[in-house]
Amino acid sequence: MSEAYVPVEAGFGLEEGYLSLEDILMSQERLPCRAETALPRLAAVLGKAGAEPLGSVPEGTKLEIPLWLAKGLYDNKRRVISVELPKIYKESWRTVFTADANVVDLHKLGPFYYGFGSQLLNFDSPENAEIAQTILQTFIGRFRRIMDSSQNAYNEDTSALVARLDELERVLFRVGQKGLNDFQSWEMGQASQITASSLVQNYRKRKFTDLDS
Amino acid sequence: MFGEKAIELIRELHRASDGQLPAFNEDGIRQVLEEMKALYEQNQADVNEAKSGHSELISTIKFRHCSLLRNRRCIVAYLYDRLLRIRALRWEYGSVLPNAVRFHMSAEEMEWFNQYKKSLATYMRSIGGGEGLDLTQDIKPPKSLYIEVRCLKDYGEFEIDDGTIILLKKNSQHFLPRWKCEQLIRQGILEHVLS
Amino acid sequence: MAEEQEGSDAGSEEVLLTPAQLIRSLEQAWMNEKFAPELLESKSEVVECVVEQLEHMEENLKRAKGGDLKVSIHRMEVERIRYVLSSYLRCRLRKIEKFFPHVLEKEKTRAEGDPSILSPEEFAFAKEYMANTETHFRNVALKHMPPNLQKVDLLKAVTKPNLDSFVFLRVKERQENILVEPETDEQREYVIDLDEDSQHLIRYKTIAPLVASGAVQLI
Repeated sequence: MSEAYVPVEAGFGLEEGYLSLEDILMSQERLPCRAETALPRLAAVLGKAGAEPLGSVPEGTKLEIPLWLAKGLYDNKRRVISVELPKIYKESWRTVFTADANVVDLHKLGPFYYGFGSQLLNFDSPENAEIAQTILQTFIGRFRRIMDSSQNAYNEDTSALVARLDELERVLFRVGQKGLNDFQSWEMGQASQITASSLVQNYRKRKFTDLDS
Repeated sequence: MFGEKAIELIRELHRASDGQLPAFNEDGIRQVLEEMKALYEQNQADVNEAKSGHSELISTIKFRHCSLLRNRRCIVAYLYDRLLRIRALRWEYGSVLPNAVRFHMSAEEMEWFNQYKKSLATYMRSIGGGEGLDLTQDIKPPKSLYIEVRCLKDYGEFEIDDGTIILLKKNSQHFLPRWKCEQLIRQGILEHVLS
Repeated sequence: MAEEQEGSDAGSEEVLLTPAQLIRSLEQAWMNEKFAPELLESKSEVVECVVEQLEHMEENLKRAKGGDLKVSIHRMEVERIRYVLSSYLRCRLRKIEKFFPHVLEKEKTRAEGDPSILSPEEFAFAKEYMANTETHFRNVALKHMPPNLQKVDLLKAVTKPNLDSFVFLRVKERQENILVEPETDEQREYVIDLDEDSQHLIRYKTIAPLVASGAVQLI
């Protein structure tokens, strides 16, 4: 990892990082909605085209649209859509999370469980308080294990564990691992070693593979 | 759905997550701009219709407008993230970039990089009375004045502090002033050998 | 050297520092800058004095005979001070780049007489960085976009410093009645006292003024 390149961080809570690649990918995730008005000329775009690609999507149609679009169309002046909860934020799943957050494969279910969940609070659902509570408790419930394993797994294969983590948790895990590795290299007296830039190393590697092919 | 081309740009950049600079996707940008042009023109037409009574078009206009904003966000984020990667090269590599990297940059990015280099140089020169302070050096706290280095490739003659000239030949080993070698180590020409 | 500095900035007192105190104040500024989420007030005077001190030391080293053990110890000292100075200025430059529209906005709206968060050179750098980046966006993309979409407000687009992040600190001067905001809806705000030499983990926003005044040291 190059230390001079630090990408724009994702936002937190209700705010997205406008220039964050992470948040742009997060807001590409879809959620179930219902059209509250007709949407003329958009049938093809919304995958509802019958005979007429420029036909209208009637009011009441169920849609799956990306979060960014849902946020734009959900506005109090003119409500074009209403939003439904994705299943993992619904009550039945909330019970699962509350029972034992550690057994859940958040990557498979997410992978932006926390980020996307926090964004759902933009839509004033009557269940918002419960959603927020579950997200927080899930994080607290899983934090300990993530912290412990990131601090103890030195030179071990952690891929099985990391595979089940949400994107936010992965960042956390990597931070922990970096701390551990830096500490180990300091203990072994390697912290003061000047090393080649990882950007340079990688370009050289690429050059070799170019030659190979 | 609109914005598919734009998210593809973001995915492509995000995949190179270790800070590498992938080739500038000029064609991708052009396609997003084309989609934006089409969306804008459709909206212009529908706005006129809506004004003459077809108010049901307002939802559709809004839908397209959101898509326009999304496309713009993706493009600006794509450009900005690339600038962050290009900036990193100046700090890690130095002011002359290897061809492999330059090849991946657009002409405008090269322009930005040159301007950045200039601003940074002006700033660094301003620190202190003399020639200034090179902030891209001294990245790690010093432990000793001299360090053991091994030469990873033939570099040629190299002048150290007191005017002595030494020959950096592949596989040769030297004991040199730390601050003289830092950049050559980061460029992968020398290797810092720990005793 | 600090003692030789003439003519002070408007309002600031002339303080005489020994070289050791000078390096200490550089180290404090460095640590505060490293751990604070936002760009702190520029410590131009400290930087200037340290630069002079370094030049002075290097001058002496040049005159000294090589091979002397004392010389290498002094040489090492120069290297260490230069590292701290570089690291400090690098850290500031990073924050300027990361928050450039906000840094410039703060400078623009600064009341007359308030200390600047940027040195004149940093200010010039920030302005160029902003102009360069804006030009890039405009030339590559924005000018090819529909007319109503050609402006992006960088103040909104670029992330603000997160003043809610938590920092570790050591108290240098005892403080009373520091108001702490509640963490959760169930909590109410409360006040705490900070004893001299005690250490705390606390929201940056709560103690930002104390960092600025020097009453606490981030660690």
